[in-house]
Amino acid sequence: MKNKRLLIINSVKTLFVNLLLILVFFFPVVWIFLTSLKTQSEIYAFPISYWPRKITLENYHLVLRGSGFSRYLINSLIVSLGTTLLVVLLAFLGAYFFARTKLKGRKPLLLFVLMISMFPPIAVAPPLFIFFRKVGLINNYLGLILAHSGLFSPIAVWILTNFLKSVPFELEDAAKVDGCGVLGIIKNVILPLSLPGLAATFLIVFVFSWCEFLLSLVLLNQNELRTAVVGIALYPGEYAFPWELISTATFLALLPIIFFVFVFQRLIIGGLTAGAIK
Amino acid sequence: MTKVHVYKREWLLFLPLFGLLIFVMIFPTFYTFLLSFSRFSLLGNKLVLSGLKNYSSLINDEEFWVSLKNSVLFTGITVPFELVLGLFLALWLNRQFRGKYLVRAALLLPWAIPTALNAVVWRWMYNTDYGIFNDLLLRVGLIRAGINWLGQIPLAMISMMIVAIWKTSSFMALILLAGLQSIPNEVYEAALIDGSTKWTTFKSITLPLLKPAILVSLLFRTMDAFRSFDLPFNLTQGGPVNSTETLSLYAYKVSFQFLKFDYAASVIIVQFAILLVLSILYLRFLEVEL
Repeated sequence: MKNKRLLIINSVKTLFVNLLLILVFFFPVVWIFLTSLKTQSEIYAFPISYWPRKITLENYHLVLRGSGFSRYLINSLIVSLGTTLLVVLLAFLGAYFFARTKLKGRKPLLLFVLMISMFPPIAVAPPLFIFFRKVGLINNYLGLILAHSGLFSPIAVWILTNFLKSVPFELEDAAKVDGCGVLGIIKNVILPLSLPGLAATFLIVFVFSWCEFLLSLVLLNQNELRTAVVGIALYPGEYAFPWELISTATFLALLPIIFFVFVFQRLIIGGLTAGAIK
Repeated sequence: MTKVHVYKREWLLFLPLFGLLIFVMIFPTFYTFLLSFSRFSLLGNKLVLSGLKNYSSLINDEEFWVSLKNSVLFTGITVPFELVLGLFLALWLNRQFRGKYLVRAALLLPWAIPTALNAVVWRWMYNTDYGIFNDLLLRVGLIRAGINWLGQIPLAMISMMIVAIWKTSSFMALILLAGLQSIPNEVYEAALIDGSTKWTTFKSITLPLLKPAILVSLLFRTMDAFRSFDLPFNLTQGGPVNSTETLSLYAYKVSFQFLKFDYAASVIIVQFAILLVLSILYLRFLEVEL
């Protein structure tokens, strides 16, 4: 009897704390979503309203149709997808090398690659701006894609190396005996077995590239070419604060990320922690 | 892992990645290093070595020292908070209960939100007239008039720290959680049989075994906080009166607003040197497990 009561008290406590945690961590996103459903006059009403009095999708209509915001979202998509594809390809090859090579300098080299991911982006921003200006890579998607790829491929190599190490050698040897070359082994043996690692890398690099601010700000500085994060963040400075539009655009820019977090959280957490501890 | 396994030209696989890293990371960093010892104008695009001139100007540059102080302060205060909060969260989540999935997603979400947009959202929540914080405090009756969170001197920095702690203690928790989950259950069962209390179990088993994860997350976060740019740029622009200006933000202003790339480079290299020391420490700790 007493045990049962204790159990109930405990699960109520658990539920309460969890609800509080979810509230605290979701709050800004929920708030921006609620704001995006309000009319402009309600946003600037005093005192502020929490739940929108009249829910409107007008803001979404305005943001998605023809406004600069939709352009920003497309730019972000191009840059993030381009970066992700390039990084996954190069990092996979690199990670395969690190996971399998017996070369002596393997360890220091891997450490060096990892150390590059700790360079502050501000250290490469001015030179990249200077070089890219000379060769026409400023205000060019390719320029930012290359910069993002350099920034995020070290972490991708790290994650993938950890994944590839868990793919047994014997399988490769068997394939080798069957007459597969390196590329054949990669295609037939390694690739299918490292899909979870590749997927995690894809998601993590996409999120990183989508969120990156400094290089996106500097290397794509023409308004129509700005990425979503930069375009939205700089928007208030240019006109009189259209807050209903900014929150709507912000929520839209967060949507792909929220989707990834909910659907693929296990993969992402697995990838991140494989990179961080192990 | 015992079989000897030889491909002759395997290093070719690493070559494309290496080329990219040289092109966009290593060479630019080296160029920044060179810039910091030079005079350079964007118009002439010419680089003339000038010795330590940029560095000696730093000594009398008050804004540089303020931003260095701000970066150290910001890092030194947010990171310990994040560690403690993250540890509590990780311990809480390292039990069996329903709805774990949702709570873990809740922890991952702040990590995945772009810092720049996060700053925009919080700037709105901190707004003196229309912000939710002031509204709540007014309704409860704790204050009589809206507080200008981002416009007063120690308060702006504190407000910025709160945003950072909100965003990253959850991420810290995820790394620590992975560390906790790698501790075998038998260790705890043995402790239970020995009649060890919750606190002594934590102190003598959990904490020592969690040490690698703690060190890694600590240094990781330290370096991230020390180079933070997105948050001050979008939350306060470094104001009021440079009280929230970090080193990265100062370097950005000097390069891209005043176009003094050479001088900014010396600021960056100082920051870089501090980060390098931290990252060497970080790698030292990692190497144990590599």
